Amino acid sequence: MLVFAFAGIMGLIISPFVGETLTDYLWGVEPTAYLSVGVILVALLTMALSYYIPRLLGRSESLVGVDQRTAERWGLLTQQYFELFHHDLGRPLRRILGKERELRLTFRAAETKLHPEIQGLLDEIEAQTPSFRLMVSNIQLLVQLEAPTVPTIQPVEPSELIRRIVDRYTPVAGDAYKEITWWSEPAEFGLVYCDGAAIEHILTNLVDNMVRYATEHIEIQLTRNLTDFFIRVWDDGPGIAPHYTEHIFDRGWTPEVARIEEKTSSGLGLFIANMLAIKYGGDLTVESIVEPDPEHHTAFLLSLPIKGPM
Amino acid sequence: MPNTILIVDDESESPIVNAVKRRLDKEGWLTQIIKPEPSGSIGDEFEALTLYTIEADSPDGILLDIRLGEHKEDQFKGLDILQKIVNNYPRLPVLMFTQYAQGPDRETAVRGSLQWDAPVDFIDKLASPEEVVLRLRRLIGSTPEKIPINDCLYLDTNTKTVFVRTNEQSVLIEDINGAKFDIFKELVTTWYRSPGELVPFSRLERYFEGEDSRGSLRVRIREIKISLGKALGISLGASDLIINVRDQGYRLVPPKM
Repeated sequence: MLVFAFAGIMGLIISPFVGETLTDYLWGVEPTAYLSVGVILVALLTMALSYYIPRLLGRSESLVGVDQRTAERWGLLTQQYFELFHHDLGRPLRRILGKERELRLTFRAAETKLHPEIQGLLDEIEAQTPSFRLMVSNIQLLVQLEAPTVPTIQPVEPSELIRRIVDRYTPVAGDAYKEITWWSEPAEFGLVYCDGAAIEHILTNLVDNMVRYATEHIEIQLTRNLTDFFIRVWDDGPGIAPHYTEHIFDRGWTPEVARIEEKTSSGLGLFIANMLAIKYGGDLTVESIVEPDPEHHTAFLLSLPIKGPM
Repeated sequence: MPNTILIVDDESESPIVNAVKRRLDKEGWLTQIIKPEPSGSIGDEFEALTLYTIEADSPDGILLDIRLGEHKEDQFKGLDILQKIVNNYPRLPVLMFTQYAQGPDRETAVRGSLQWDAPVDFIDKLASPEEVVLRLRRLIGSTPEKIPINDCLYLDTNTKTVFVRTNEQSVLIEDINGAKFDIFKELVTTWYRSPGELVPFSRLERYFEGEDSRGSLRVRIREIKISLGKALGISLGASDLIINVRDQGYRLVPPKM
């Protein structure tokens, strides 16, 4: 644009000479002069536009930035209100659970045989607790996923995470005459680099599902190669039909949705597990064989990079 | 000496903490509860008394709540106390009670400030007493001399014996000795720290020499089951007590009596 402006100025200066030469008429000076002025004006206009338009665009970007900041603030506020709400909700729940556990211990110490319905009630309260804990965590994570944060990477021992989840679900599984077994290859697995809370949350969702649908056995296998580590969670349940597995990671989807029946779960767990796996540079897949095939089972495979997301 | 667990919780009289305490008692552990005198700042009182008790009594582990009072300043007082414990007693195991809603984010942030192998763990308050005990077992790391497998079967690591206790009498199972005891102990101690964890063949085969260590192991496992079945008066099949899982290893499943 500067070149054009310079050319226009030069044209203006030499127009008396060029104009007379070109046309041999004095009136040729005017068009040349007008042309030169025109070139100068076009150049100046273009320069002005190229200066101001980016600034106008930049201002609208900062308006978007304000929206993003507002969204983050709302996300943070939502989380804070959520924490307050669930702390207050937690108090009566802790009382109910505490009373249930005290009652159970008292009867056990007195070696009193409980009426089956009372035993059933106490078992049901205890059996629903891990799922309730998970549901609350899922809702909190959903809020966090809506206002995304930078992934937190720390050294983590995945075998210890698996132990914790098995601790939580072994009593519940045992009451339903199911067993959870786990192992790692190699036996001394070592560390990976990830957000331990995220891995634990993914696995908790998977195991919670497995405990619900397994017939008798749930198995968790931890393996690795040079770059990634894998956690395979398997159950011997009836399996998931192929037309269901297509939707299994959809938000809010459960098999009841497809059958237009009342949902028995929120349909958030596997959606969140999948989102977390992707957030940390990994993948979550499912494969299943359906009854009446004698090999019926369902297996979820979580794979994550050992050194953390790129 | 039994382990001593210090409980630092402003709701130490509540049913839920009481249930945990009773489970710790059943474990054979001693419990000590921090109960500061009501004063201006309950959180500060908890902090002072906790640090004093750790110094004076050297507990083996601590159950520490994050929230120690209703005042806004006490909302995360437990984290301040944790920091001081980690700074002054870095090998003292601490199991922190979290409110589940605080869980993932806050826990990740706190973990990030600790050494990766610091003996600190987090558990939410709705966790079952059984889960609390399992976490403490791993944090503390030691196993008791007598490990109860179920209500009547015990393994004594001191005398290297297995016995059945019925009607207040202990009957020694003499057949389980030598390599058989070592294998059984490996299975029991793994189960004690982490129910459901498989013991890989490699860890069990090291008790045998010769070419067919896998075959020897299978034979010993069968012999252990026969001896225990006789002592307990029950028949133990392939899927009872000691189970081969996918040819990866064995795990212990205590028989339900």
